[in-house]
Amino acid sequence: MSAPVLQTDLAVIGAGPAGLSAALAAARAGARVLLLDEYSQPGGQYMKQLAQGFSVPDTSRLDDEMQRGAALAQAVRDAGVVIEPSTLVLASFAPGELAISRRGEPALVRARAIVVATGAHERAIAFPGWDLPGVMTPGGAQTLAKTQRVLPGRRIVLAGSGPFLMPVAKSLLAIGAEIVAVFETTRPRAWSPHVLRLAGHGERVREALAYRRMLRAARVPVHFNHIVVEAVGTDAVERVRVVPCDDAGRVRIGAGYREIEADALCVGYGFVPAVQLTRALGCAHRHAPVRGGWVPEHDQDMRTTVANVFVAGEVAGIGGAPVAAAEGQLAGLAAARTLGCTVDDRALAQARRERAHRRRFADLVGELFPVKPAYYAPITDATIVCRCEEVTAGEVRRAAAEWGGELNFIKGVTRCGMGYCQGRICGSIVEALVCQTLGIHPGSAGALTVRTPLKPVPVEVLAGLAND
Amino acid sequence: MSDDAIRPGEPLTIRVDGRELPATRGQTVAGALLANGIRVLRHTRRMGRPRGVFCGMGACYDCIVHVNGAPGLRACLTPVEPGMDVRLPKQFGPDPQP
Repeated sequence: MSAPVLQTDLAVIGAGPAGLSAALAAARAGARVLLLDEYSQPGGQYMKQLAQGFSVPDTSRLDDEMQRGAALAQAVRDAGVVIEPSTLVLASFAPGELAISRRGEPALVRARAIVVATGAHERAIAFPGWDLPGVMTPGGAQTLAKTQRVLPGRRIVLAGSGPFLMPVAKSLLAIGAEIVAVFETTRPRAWSPHVLRLAGHGERVREALAYRRMLRAARVPVHFNHIVVEAVGTDAVERVRVVPCDDAGRVRIGAGYREIEADALCVGYGFVPAVQLTRALGCAHRHAPVRGGWVPEHDQDMRTTVANVFVAGEVAGIGGAPVAAAEGQLAGLAAARTLGCTVDDRALAQARRERAHRRRFADLVGELFPVKPAYYAPITDATIVCRCEEVTAGEVRRAAAEWGGELNFIKGVTRCGMGYCQGRICGSIVEALVCQTLGIHPGSAGALTVRTPLKPVPVEVLAGLAND
Repeated sequence: MSDDAIRPGEPLTIRVDGRELPATRGQTVAGALLANGIRVLRHTRRMGRPRGVFCGMGACYDCIVHVNGAPGLRACLTPVEPGMDVRLPKQFGPDPQP
């Protein structure tokens, strides 16, 4: 082997709330922990850190998530965890072994246990013009604003569905953005039957109310029961078309569209678990719409169906940072015990309870903001759905009609999901289109096979991983 | 977080398709391009459609550009450096043609 080999007890993949918490719990229990993260600084998406190069004379003036992320990352380092930033996991060719690209150089990790905490991608849903420059995910816009104080545009429309639109609005407003309007496909009245289930989650409810007040103070109009149907522009988005919709997300017949001038449209419909690595590791997955789609199966201690592989956070089911941290803590303790470290029974029981409590709220949010079939209705046959390979919805629908409801056949016929992103963006859209075309149940069309390397790397890196 | 709480990185210059553009240390290539009003980062190889920053977190690969002769780098994850040579792929999308 020409690539260096890194030996460790526990490898944790992903340094967001889940991965940091898992690494901390396991290290404090006595395990040797290696934490691999794709980004240049730990924190993940939720606790994104200010870009290196920017400076803050008074760190207490950074937002809460940045401060918490910095403190947690420091605690993880203090516990003796080795953090490897700018590191991609490319493949796993043997149990406990990960082929990685560490800041552009190949290496192998050999670990006795693995915690996968790879988080999620935003759920983008296609519509005509969604590939125009200026259309981006809310999270992408938030990252630009928070980490490097760059705005996605001068007139911003924020749209889609789910609680995440609120913190994005906050981050944009904090650096002086003009948010022309927020369009949310659901409406608060549709949530009221669930209000009793909010008991015991007062902190999260107060958070939501604070966002509402913030938008009102900034005079940002919020329109419920509205859906984006088109982005219009020549070289980039110039106008956004929005229509009223009912509680099922269906466009109201005859309502007519409203056109808003904007040079940025940030639109997203929640998140999709990033299961590429759990798939590559051979974990069994199940389709759980309330958790965001395909998720790895796991037991009460976050153990997957593959020996010594655990999951935590968004990859195990969408739920937000509190459940991610709780699952990280639980997975870290459970992994440490598996490795032979002494883990107090009460600590483990407490971690299980905390995780269950947080997951209940997360599942409620998942139920309040389901991905409704009508969200895919604006997709015309000419709309590109696979952005990498430029495959249109018409091609996917025709392939489904001709070849049937098996996603990997559709992929083979149309090339959708074969590009650089490996279906991270289009996978859930293609799945919905195929199931809708054939009238079959979501989740019954199989899943796109993942291919190694899980993300593109120069061929030199792969060559470095080959046997001599 | 208010304006004066954060100081941007030191100013520097990058070259984009031969044009010198201001940036600050800590920005990514994507951030620097957007801050300069450049939204179109490349054109696709099949249909020649314009593309820009989409996911902003390294997942979608829509923002790939050529940096210092290396093809296919994600602008959203690549930090700017003084004198960096950035080329925006035209028509041929992600394939190398620096």
